[in-house]
Parts: sequence; C-alpha cells; structure tokens
Amino acid sequence: MGKNLRLKSARAARDMSQKQLADAVGVTRQTVNAIENGNYNPSINLCINICKVLGKTLDEIFWEADEDAEK
Amino acid sequence: MKSFGKLMKMQRNELDEMQLQTRNRIGNQTFMLLFYLLLISIGIYGFGFRWLDYPLNVFVIMLFCMSYYLIRIIWNNAYIGPVSENQSVGRKVTYVAAIAGIALVIAAVYIQSLTTKTAATEDSGAIILFVFSMVLIIVAVLVGIIAKRQNSE
Repeated sequence: MGKNLRLKSARAARDMSQKQLADAVGVTRQTVNAIENGNYNPSINLCINICKVLGKTLDEIFWEADEDAEK
Repeated sequence: MKSFGKLMKMQRNELDEMQLQTRNRIGNQTFMLLFYLLLISIGIYGFGFRWLDYPLNVFVIMLFCMSYYLIRIIWNNAYIGPVSENQSVGRKVTYVAAIAGIALVIAAVYIQSLTTKTAATEDSGAIILFVFSMVLIIVAVLVGIIAKRQNSE
C-alpha cells in the first residue's frame, strides 16, 4: 500500500497538523501518520470523518484510480 | 468544533481503531507465547529437569509474559487512548503502585513472621506475592515515565 499523498496535501491545504486532524476525528496522531504513510487501512467510519473534517469526498482522498482505466 | 458536530460518534474515551488492532495482535501473540512457554516448561519438567520448583516456574513465565505484553503495547502506542493521552495517566499508575505497595508490605510482614517462627514451610506464596508486588511497582513506575514522555512529544 502506497503513501496517501492526497490526504497529506488536503490536510496541508487546510493548514492542519496531524495532531489537529487526529483530535478532530478522535484518533491518535500516530494513527493519522500511519494512514498517510500507507501503513494502516482505516475503517469506513474513520475515512468519512476525515473527509468531513477536510471538506473532501471519499473519492478525492481515498479512491485509488486505476492507471489502466485512465489510459 | 461546531462544524464537525455531525461526525460519526467514535468512542472518545477508549483506544482508537488502530490501537485496538495493535493491542489485539500483541495480546494474541503474548497468549501464544505464554501457552508455548508453559508447554515447554511442562515438557522439560517431565524429562526431569527442574529449572524452578512448581509454583515458581509458572509464576515466572506469567510475569515474563505480562511484562512483555505491557512493554510491547506501550512501545507500539496502544496503552492510552487519544483522549486520555491529553490527560495525566498518573492517577492510574498511582492506584496500581499503591495496591502493589500494600501487597508488598503485607507479604513482607508475613515473611518476617515466618522467619521468626523458624518453621520450615513449603509454602512459597508469600515470596511470590512479594516478588510480584515489587515487579508490579517497577512496571507501574516505568509505565508512568514512558507515558509522560510520550505525552510531551
């Protein structure tokens, strides 16, 4: 599982630190860090919460586009 | 946080989902470790090799596994949840240390009374309780120090 750079950039665009995002969704900073680094697969509830906090949709942050389909 | 009012309810006073997953994984591994260590101990006991007398060997194995479990969950940040991370864990540690301290004193008094009677008893329960309490105090202090360090980071 690769890094989730879209989550990182969406968070940075909101000028939020990992700690602030973690507090907003009720998890630890380490969990947010693990999600961004691709070391942990969050539950759908956590994904939705993160999207709501960042003002994005699930697709925009968590959908991994199929490269073949794009071509 | 008004704008986030519609967030789904997460258990804010508990461990988060990754911490739970980590704790469950470590718990399962520790249980298997305990099982195999006890099995090995029984096996070598059957072959006639007695590395420790009966109740003590089980006690030492259990103590080892408990310490292993605690150290690993603290190391993997699965000991305290996201909310309690912001609070002091001192109270929890103080309770454990106080209970262990009381047990330590009771065991010490009991051992003292046994030695003054000079009666040779095979009961090693008091010594087990004494050592267990001492280890518990040490572990509680270590947990307090590590948790404090993690919070300040």
